[in-house]
Amino acid sequence: MNKKLSFLVLAGFIAVTLLLTACTPDRPDEAEGNGEEGSDEKAEKPESLTIWANDEEKQLKAIEEIAARYEEEKGIKVNVDTVSMLDQTQELSLAGPEGNGPDLFFQPHDRIGNTVAQGLAEPVEFSDGALEGYSDAAVDAVTYNYDGETNYYGYPAVIETYGIFYNTDIVEQAPETAEDLKRILENNTNPDSDEYGFLMKPNDLYFSMPFFYNYGGYIFGGDTGDYDVNDIGLNNEGSVEAAEFYQSFFGSGKIPPSTTTDVIDGLFNEGKVGAVINGPWSIVGYKDALGDSLAFAPFPSINGEPAQTFVGVKSWMVSYYSEKKDWAHDLAEFMTNKENLQYYYEVAGELPPNKEALESIEDPIYSAFADQIEHGVPMPSTPAMQQVWEPFNNALQFLAEGEDPKPVLDEAVKQIKTNIEASGQGE
Amino acid sequence: MSSSVRTKLAGKHNPTLAMLLSIVFAGFGQLYNRRYLKGVIFIIIETSFLITVLPWLNYGLWGLRTLGTIPGTDHSIRLLVFGVLSLIALIILGTLYVFNVLDARKQAMKIRDGWKPLPFKETMRTVYDTAFPYLMTLPGLLLMVFVVIFPLIFSVLLAFTNYNLFNSPPRHLVDWVGFENFKNLISVDMWKDTFISVFAWTIVWTVVATTLQIGVGLFLAVMVNDPRIKFKKLIRTILILPWAVPAFVTILIFAAMFNDEFGAINRDIIIPLIGGDGLPWLSDPFYARIAIIMIQTWLGFPFVFALFTGVLQSISKDWYEAADVDGGSRLQKFRHITFPHVMFATAPLLIMQYAQNFNNFNIIYLFNEGGPPVRGQNAGGTDILISWVYKLTFDTNNYAMAAVISIIMGLLISGFAFYQFRQTRSFKEEGEI
Repeated sequence: MNKKLSFLVLAGFIAVTLLLTACTPDRPDEAEGNGEEGSDEKAEKPESLTIWANDEEKQLKAIEEIAARYEEEKGIKVNVDTVSMLDQTQELSLAGPEGNGPDLFFQPHDRIGNTVAQGLAEPVEFSDGALEGYSDAAVDAVTYNYDGETNYYGYPAVIETYGIFYNTDIVEQAPETAEDLKRILENNTNPDSDEYGFLMKPNDLYFSMPFFYNYGGYIFGGDTGDYDVNDIGLNNEGSVEAAEFYQSFFGSGKIPPSTTTDVIDGLFNEGKVGAVINGPWSIVGYKDALGDSLAFAPFPSINGEPAQTFVGVKSWMVSYYSEKKDWAHDLAEFMTNKENLQYYYEVAGELPPNKEALESIEDPIYSAFADQIEHGVPMPSTPAMQQVWEPFNNALQFLAEGEDPKPVLDEAVKQIKTNIEASGQGE
Repeated sequence: MSSSVRTKLAGKHNPTLAMLLSIVFAGFGQLYNRRYLKGVIFIIIETSFLITVLPWLNYGLWGLRTLGTIPGTDHSIRLLVFGVLSLIALIILGTLYVFNVLDARKQAMKIRDGWKPLPFKETMRTVYDTAFPYLMTLPGLLLMVFVVIFPLIFSVLLAFTNYNLFNSPPRHLVDWVGFENFKNLISVDMWKDTFISVFAWTIVWTVVATTLQIGVGLFLAVMVNDPRIKFKKLIRTILILPWAVPAFVTILIFAAMFNDEFGAINRDIIIPLIGGDGLPWLSDPFYARIAIIMIQTWLGFPFVFALFTGVLQSISKDWYEAADVDGGSRLQKFRHITFPHVMFATAPLLIMQYAQNFNNFNIIYLFNEGGPPVRGQNAGGTDILISWVYKLTFDTNNYAMAAVISIIMGLLISGFAFYQFRQTRSFKEEGEI
């Protein structure tokens, strides 16, 4: 026993001594890749570029075709790897340092804050004219201020928002105001036979934010892309008013507070629900179920103003670890020119953030989405937004269950603040 | 040389010198002892170590100590991984080095005392005989070091850093912060309050859900084993079925069935039979907890049932006959014969059931993601420690804090399991009983 112990003690002693005496190794002085950025000339043409595309069949097909077009035009091969959009930042932070990362990756804009905080994405400089092509919301969305410097961090490729889907068998005319929506709800609801005039998930900030925006609530103060995370406007007077109005949609004879996404989609597809809130990603499913009875309208106006819905923008970002950044920018620009965005929309069914491309859409449902985008507000892209979702979704649930708005909102905001602090942001 | 000369020489052989020599350079002591092959092997190991591994080790250890100094160039987390690997390599090498020193001394002492080396062939045979078990377990041990010990050390070390989103590499560096995170867990209100309430529920959940699943399993096993029951095979097959359906499917179906407004349990059972509006299974923490415990019982009892059924078959009939002769009642027979037999054979497996439920992430997360929300608390009503850690890691990106709670969980589980295993006989070594 004693001998065994002395063995370990000695070995441990040696380890600790070496640990303390280990000295700084030689490393290249400068961070990789930053060296050549100042020069105007483009780096030499590489043989190939690698991009990470989302693992969705149609999107992938469109991306592969666009990549082939690029190869034809510039003679650079583009490898399209499939990595789920949700896993990309994590995989990049692991694969990047090993040199296995992509040159371009694809992320929704509300992750920009996270990506930039970790230093995974490079700022973007749009070439002349490229900027004017994009809709304002798209440009705002990819703008982000980090450490006092405001930059663009992605080439917008997809823009999306949400509105009202309705079943023309139940609702003859699209609701124009939130009051219309409530009337539809009250007149067409019969819980005993599972019929509802209007259904929405009670605890989803994403869909219910227009209520708060239109009454003067806000999530973070400051400007788009340069948020003041210490200023949270979700419990101000306007928000309380909004909460009271929001609350009036729930209860007996109205929307049940335990409604889930599955319930909404299931009943709507069965033709038992008049109207639901959803985004373009659900068009295919709804269309299969309802056929010609499906119609879409922009979000009804709230408090006399057009509803300010959340806008999400997915964009191509240039990896920090890329060794061919110049050409990565070139490829991203190519992929997001008007022609390619149009093509991507036709194949993948995701709306293009390009103004002209948006206007030229003929499909009635998609063009209604395009109209709604004009009133959209980009989702806050600061990492602090991640701390807002859960506390506020819970608050919305409490509201739907009929609790007193003011204390519920105060508590939620307090919790958001402690969460932000706990996550290490906000001094 | 005559044998008397050899003895004379041997008497002069100096163990301290052998030891010092092998401290100076591994293998020299062995050469002095005239164990040439062994000496050469040690010399080769140390030389190759000095030439190839030393810079690598130096880099790893330096990284482990500083976690990098230049943001953007040094990647703290990679350095940490590298550092842990070099530490493991270092400990292996250190052990070899210490072994070399002690070996030189021991052998020198033997030679001094007149020990004669055996012929080469003989030596090889004894080495083979003594080393064989070690040789066989070596691959497993190495695998264990890299698959279990390495990640364990990594996550323990993580708990002493400030790794969160805003210190994430490559842009920033992670730093050592000592016990800061542990201090926060017990002093900052937000962590403290949530931790205590989640911890309390985790214990209740583990004890109640597991005991219930064992109880139900035992009850059914004893019932089905009763000689008066017909169609035993059919009944057993049916009772095993919940185990055969993938758990996640069952949980998701149950989650839909428990829905307050649209679920079958309220709609088709509670309201028609009892009336009222049904129970708030998903929106009230108390009912959500009841529901989740019932689901776990449903999922867990078939395993226990199968286990007990097997044991029950093996209890000799003689025991019961003897009890009948003594006029033992049904209950007495169960208490003094069946129960001890069953428990004796299965205790370790039952303990594993408790440990498993303590960390049963699937059911908590799939049922309603730890909900329903509780006002003024940052974990949901049914969140157990493991699902709370998940939320911390993925929602708040607070990796360090998640590591702290994981350590506490690990210690609890291993402490409990260790104590229990010591108590049961199945894990004692021969002769220890």
